[in-house]
Amino acid sequence: MLGSEVTFDVALPKVVWGWLVSTNMWAKSIATGSFLLGLYFIKKYPEKDAFFRKWVPILGLIFIGITLLVTVLDLHHMFRFWKIFVFAHFTSAVTLGAWVVSGFVVVLLISFWSWITGNKKLFDKVMIPGFLLAFFSTIYTAGIMGEATARELWVFPAEMIQMLLSATLAGSAVYLLIMTIYKVEMEEVKRELGYILIGSAFLSGMMYLGEILFARMHSEFSHRAVEILTFGSLAPMFWLGVFLTFIIPTILVGIANEKKKYEYALLGSISALIGLWFVKHSWLLAPQMLPLS
Amino acid sequence: MKLGFLVDLSRCMGCMACAVSCKAENDVPLHSWRLRVKYIDQGEFPEVKRHFVPLRCNHCENAPCERICPVSALHYLPNGIVNVDHNRCIGCASCMMACPYNAIYIDPITNSADKCTYCAHRIEVGMMPACVVACPTHANIFGDLDDPESEISKYLKEHKDIMVRKPELNTKPKHFYVRGSTVDLDPLSSERPEGYTLFTEVKFLDHIGGH
Repeated sequence: MLGSEVTFDVALPKVVWGWLVSTNMWAKSIATGSFLLGLYFIKKYPEKDAFFRKWVPILGLIFIGITLLVTVLDLHHMFRFWKIFVFAHFTSAVTLGAWVVSGFVVVLLISFWSWITGNKKLFDKVMIPGFLLAFFSTIYTAGIMGEATARELWVFPAEMIQMLLSATLAGSAVYLLIMTIYKVEMEEVKRELGYILIGSAFLSGMMYLGEILFARMHSEFSHRAVEILTFGSLAPMFWLGVFLTFIIPTILVGIANEKKKYEYALLGSISALIGLWFVKHSWLLAPQMLPLS
Repeated sequence: MKLGFLVDLSRCMGCMACAVSCKAENDVPLHSWRLRVKYIDQGEFPEVKRHFVPLRCNHCENAPCERICPVSALHYLPNGIVNVDHNRCIGCASCMMACPYNAIYIDPITNSADKCTYCAHRIEVGMMPACVVACPTHANIFGDLDDPESEISKYLKEHKDIMVRKPELNTKPKHFYVRGSTVDLDPLSSERPEGYTLFTEVKFLDHIGGH
């Protein structure tokens, strides 16, 4: 007897984590990426640190604010979010993330105060804990994905590296954007940001392709999820995201660096930031499109 | 004491008495289910067979929902039940992302995560879960897995064809099925790619069946 078909099952596939979660990951990439790259440039070019000492806290607070806002909005009991601190369950990456991001917010507030008061030493004191908190704020989402056993596509081990690359890509893109808009004359820094953006885009794009083409998919479920992502209903969004995040910025920022025409970098940065949201959103949705029974 | 559940699929006739009694007992809102019965049709006319599979929380010993819950709203009771504290739940839906059995839902009235608790409130006063009482064919067998004299322990000892859903995930479910097949418990498993990557040719295994 061949062929079988589920003819009745009330548990229809449904997207539970939607655009609010994608926006959370996207905004967090910008907040942590701008912080990590800001630290790097402050250390490397101490004579030109004023730009980064100003924009590290501003960008960090704006985008971590968006992250926290969408996270709370996504809760079905948004006014109970404080329970994560008083009933903390430390086997959960969600809990660890909440604590780490809270610490990161404190560091950002200190860096903001340091910029307002001109007290550089204050920020210098929190640079090392700030680096650690920004780093772990970036990667904890990979921990959540890893614990989401039911959605096997997210459990790929490369997820953590993808989160870090998203941060460096988004951080470099947002700095290039601001530098071009405000006509900041720091060519060396712009070039380096361009290389970071191209490098992050290339590595991240290669990793996505590698995961799709060569990853060991242990189950039919993850195999189907990748099919939906690459050939199915999510394919237009995913491939548009890949095009906007990895291909367009590489070309435009490459031209900007070669010909010193930084208006190209502006377009490349915008493309990278928009595309990154599409890639993250389609990656988030794909495993949720399948029924689990 | 470690409580467990077993369904003898050869006895299930798909009457849904378990699903209805569960909804009535636990005030499960419309469009939400703690227990549902899935239908799977197999074969080609006139050689067609319908399978019924009651699905509920598996009360895993290694429960991904308990691990991911940030506030311990999902927690173990000493008898092995994975219980839910509705007042603590923040509604992040992480448990829904972690449960491989689609057993958890967000209650639209309380806005909290909810699922089968093996009727923990009834067990506390020495009663059986509502679905066990309602089943007309005694397909649902519930009891203490640690007690060798319990009906469920005897069933597990007597039967060689004991199955759990998605054993490869190592969640150690405490919900067993007997006299079932792979098609019943995991329809996607009837089609397996011979290999691992996206572009590997997909082959159908005749002895299991395929979609």
